[in-house]
Amino acid sequence: MRKFFPVEELARDERFSQITMRQSQADPRNPLVGEQAGKRPKTNRLTPDRADASDAARSLMHGIFVGEIQALEGAGRMCHDFEAGTGLSSDTVPFALKLDMARQAWDEARHVEISVKLSEWMGSEIGQYAENTVLFEVACSNDPVLRLAGVNRALEGLAIDVFTTMKEFGDLAGDPYLEFCEDWMLADEVTHVKMGSDWLRRITENDPERRKKALEFQSVVDKIFSFGGTRSDSRESPIGLARRFRELAGFTDTEVEDIAAVSLAALDERKAFSNSSMHDGAEPVSVA
Amino acid sequence: MSVTVAPHDFRFVKFDAQVVQRVGDELLVTLGIDRPLHVEIDETTPLGRVRATVNPDGIVVNVESGAFEDSKRPREQSETATAVSLGRILLRTRDRLQGGFGEAPVDDELSLRQMAAWETYSAGRLTRLGLTVNQQRWRYNFRNRHGFTDVADAAFERIWAADGLTWTELEAISSSV
Repeated sequence: MRKFFPVEELARDERFSQITMRQSQADPRNPLVGEQAGKRPKTNRLTPDRADASDAARSLMHGIFVGEIQALEGAGRMCHDFEAGTGLSSDTVPFALKLDMARQAWDEARHVEISVKLSEWMGSEIGQYAENTVLFEVACSNDPVLRLAGVNRALEGLAIDVFTTMKEFGDLAGDPYLEFCEDWMLADEVTHVKMGSDWLRRITENDPERRKKALEFQSVVDKIFSFGGTRSDSRESPIGLARRFRELAGFTDTEVEDIAAVSLAALDERKAFSNSSMHDGAEPVSVA
Repeated sequence: MSVTVAPHDFRFVKFDAQVVQRVGDELLVTLGIDRPLHVEIDETTPLGRVRATVNPDGIVVNVESGAFEDSKRPREQSETATAVSLGRILLRTRDRLQGGFGEAPVDDELSLRQMAAWETYSAGRLTRLGLTVNQQRWRYNFRNRHGFTDVADAAFERIWAADGLTWTELEAISSSV
């Protein structure tokens, strides 16, 4: 079986439509700026009192669903792409790490099934929304330590934030299934992050340069996963930063503060980008 | 009946004003609305709010681009979404114009519960007119506003299947939950 699988060849049927992060970020529209922005509420946090709450929650649920598929694929590749060994070089990983990744793949497969059921419950269909493939892309590094940083700490860290927001949404709306399912999946995600944090420290214990490189990569991924301000402490972001659960998952206070700063910077950059796009005299797009 | 659309050329989205015009024309005929329609699209936002005002020249519908968007293909237009979004607001407008809804608050003053009930009423009627509408989407929206209970589900079914309700009747079903 082939190792190091390219994102372009992920198995999807005709129901799915994939987009890249570049395509997603090229969208100059932004609810935070423009003529109508001042007339809207100052908060975009996903709560039931938003007029578009149901549709926004359905869209986010579908994002969780495709994210779980890619997380399953990433954990599976981690098991398969590297030989069992000491993990001191970038072509091997400890066998116990493979077992943890196999357990994670099992969790993610269960999450995919739960997400499908929740999507049906909320009135969505599989593939109804575009699938952003950025999650799998960060799981394609040649160094397993970078995958731990990018997938288990950054990606699964984002999952903690998303599940916390959705769990709170279900709780406030009185949706018993959403609240219950998100709570249980959240517990798994905290474990996944903890596994990533523990393995990252163990493997790089005597290799500070490799650890530094991995943490730098995580920082880059965290900024990407802030999705132009979609996740931050600001109420302008639909998804909040789940500080308490991140602590439980092994993030230090400094690391949480760093992610908070990166997320807010991403939000500001997105607003500035959208403002400039609206005033650059862009040509009309053609209609095919 | 005439339908006009603005803008004609789009900068941020790949929409076709002629498709909006054709869909609007068909809806006016299907819904029996005999007033001119002007559709004003705000393409600077991906949100999906749709509002309508009636003036002596006809009906003006203000649409945020997300309402007409293909959720599979960001920034591209979905004819189904265009028809359902326009259909919902035109049905609500027709309700107000035809009578029986004189006591309904203006749109900005409708509570989330009232809006969910009226949207359910509109979506159910659109389904029977042959438009593609996901009933579970509207059931979930109704549950979010009326509770996740059997009583709320029964109220949803009554509203979904109804034709010819007045505001008082619609409000009574919504309030009974």
